[in-house]
Amino acid sequence: MPARTFAPDTALNIESRGADLLAVCFGAMASPCELLLPAAERAVALDLGELVAREARRIEAKFSRYRDDSVVTAIHRSRGSAAGIEVDEETASLLDFARECFELSDGLFDITSGVLRRAWRFDGSDRLPSPQTVQSLLPLVGFDKLSWNPPRLVLPEGMELDLGGIGKEYAVDRAFALLAAVREAPFLVNFGGDLRANRPTPRGPWQVGIERPDAAGRAALILELEQGALTTSGDARRFLLKDGIRYGHILDPRTGWPVRDAPRSVTVAAATCTEAGLLSTLAMLQGAGAETYLEAQGVIHWLLR
Amino acid sequence: MQLKPRGTGAKGGAAADARLARRRLIAASCALLGATAARAQEATNAASDSISGEWNVDSALAYYHEGAGRIKAIEPIVNFSKTFGDGRTFSGQVVFDSLSGSTPNGALPSIQPQTFASPSGASLSASPVTYTTSSGTLATESARIYTVNPGQQPMDPNYHDQRLAVSANWGLPLSRVLNASYGGKLSYERDFVSVSANAGIARDFFEKNTTLSFQINNEFDKLNPIGGAPVPASDYALFQKTGGKTKDGVGMMFGLTQVMNRRWLTEVNFSLDRFHGYLNDPYKILSIISPSGGTTGYLYEKRPSSRTRKSVYWENRAAWGRLSMDLSMRYMVDSWRVHSDTAALSVRWWNPDRDRFLEPNVRWYRQSAADFYTPWIDSTGSRYISYASADARLGAFHAFTYGLKYGAKITDSQDDTTSEFSVRVDYYRQTPDHQLVGPGSLQGLDLYPGLQAILVQIGYKF
Repeated sequence: MPARTFAPDTALNIESRGADLLAVCFGAMASPCELLLPAAERAVALDLGELVAREARRIEAKFSRYRDDSVVTAIHRSRGSAAGIEVDEETASLLDFARECFELSDGLFDITSGVLRRAWRFDGSDRLPSPQTVQSLLPLVGFDKLSWNPPRLVLPEGMELDLGGIGKEYAVDRAFALLAAVREAPFLVNFGGDLRANRPTPRGPWQVGIERPDAAGRAALILELEQGALTTSGDARRFLLKDGIRYGHILDPRTGWPVRDAPRSVTVAAATCTEAGLLSTLAMLQGAGAETYLEAQGVIHWLLR
Repeated sequence: MQLKPRGTGAKGGAAADARLARRRLIAASCALLGATAARAQEATNAASDSISGEWNVDSALAYYHEGAGRIKAIEPIVNFSKTFGDGRTFSGQVVFDSLSGSTPNGALPSIQPQTFASPSGASLSASPVTYTTSSGTLATESARIYTVNPGQQPMDPNYHDQRLAVSANWGLPLSRVLNASYGGKLSYERDFVSVSANAGIARDFFEKNTTLSFQINNEFDKLNPIGGAPVPASDYALFQKTGGKTKDGVGMMFGLTQVMNRRWLTEVNFSLDRFHGYLNDPYKILSIISPSGGTTGYLYEKRPSSRTRKSVYWENRAAWGRLSMDLSMRYMVDSWRVHSDTAALSVRWWNPDRDRFLEPNVRWYRQSAADFYTPWIDSTGSRYISYASADARLGAFHAFTYGLKYGAKITDSQDDTTSEFSVRVDYYRQTPDHQLVGPGSLQGLDLYPGLQAILVQIGYKF
């Protein structure tokens, strides 16, 4: 049979978007990813696309909790041992960052909150977990319950780490840095809606469409971005509905229950994706206070309720 | 839904705290991104062996049902594939077929009842059958006898078989533009084992818009027909059978794939293959017909011991908005003088959210008869048969397939994975061409029954 068909998710695909814009597309981190290059040659675009895809997949492979060979899996295997595990420098930086975020947010941003998924399945049904079930998981949540003395991490029995909340944004910034080192001309890196651009295109600012959370593929608003990062948090498709109350999928790690009155989606502009991503996530966690929080932070933001 | 675009502008005491927090956040982000830049660069190369993709699994259950009580088959199929971080790919397939029903034995209907011995092994109501083996000894085996009523097409009602086929293929990027592939396939049935291996190379040109590929394939088959392999063109009543037989094949294919534009991809393949060995169907016979239309006996079929096939295949795939289309044509000619033409068209139509599709398809096929195809042998002609087969699959016919497929994507909101469910129903109708009228009493009997079949397939891809 022919050696080549239309490219699968894992391959690079190149397509033109309009007169003077090339997009190199690939799948990584369960998201459609793309590198946008105005006025580029196809061969150059493919080379740069490979650089970006390779970095995205490296980070995915290293930090995914679904991979047997990932660092996160190795940390999970060390669970319960008093000596813990010594982690590499990159992982240590991410853990430092996670600790800083945990402290800054008074425990709202917590990479150990993934265990709450055992109680919550946001399948659109009305099946809420019992308060006892949620309560029984809370002792396993809290970055302050870890012992983190770089480079040594001790993960107590029953606890889990999930870097999914920062991994994609971090990957955008990493890919951005690799590209910026080799390319002066404008480019935009977009991993599943978390994106960062180095400079405006020759024809003006980048046009970024923000999806309406309940209608995949339809832009709810178009933003103009000259440079910097934009991230969007929120997914209205994940929820439970009981007695007329909608329980969104954003869980407060301190109570184990969904944040009340969280916005449908929050988009934040900042210098880096990591920073923007954290701000949009924290804004969601504020629930009804999301607007107040974002305004106090003095960031450019867009909010859908 | 309320849309709130907001500018910057925090003032006052509480806001000062917030801005302090934000500065810490910015500092933390910078520390993360700065500290790891060099290390991540090193790791990029080191990590290239790690796995980059999940397993893709494509499973299906097919049910095939021929009309008039003929073959029924149930076939579970599982395809799985994976791409590794360094670009290597693996794909595998496991197929299990279970077939049962009646299959034409090649003899013509008659105005008399006809009795045949089924080769399908032991049964309770068995009669002993004697035949000679290649070593010359006599052996007996139980065989089931079946009788066909006047006017009916002779079919062996005891056909049942099971097949397990496993294949594996690896893809190996040699450079950014050169890809190698190699693989193998093993297929096992009670009376048939087939092993094949393939290797290929593909090179991309013009920024991957053009791909040239070349592939070779080698196959080896071992036949162990139930009750032995009949001596070709021997008298059915003499049970002249030998042991296992073999055949082998080599093939090559040259392919060109061209991206015409963003919406259109075209592909042309030329292939050549040659099979050599025992190419007969060991269960197929021919009727010997007298001028009055009576059946005076039967012969086992005899086909040439080699067959060379050449074919050209042209496929176009195009997408336009929510529509995508696949149009393909094939022309094949072989050394048995079978010519065939195939044309197939399918159109996939997505709903506006692109999570469901409908795909109608139609396929047309026509073939001419092999030069040794004959529905019967004339009893007054020469008893010396060079080659002869009454297998309808070697006769002239045309066929249409009409089908409809429906697919839906299912998104698991918990872990953000997408799977695809599909149902496909195809109707196949085969009509014989160039029908000879039988002599004497055969006139008025349906000597060329067509074939109708339904295929239902349920698929799940994740």
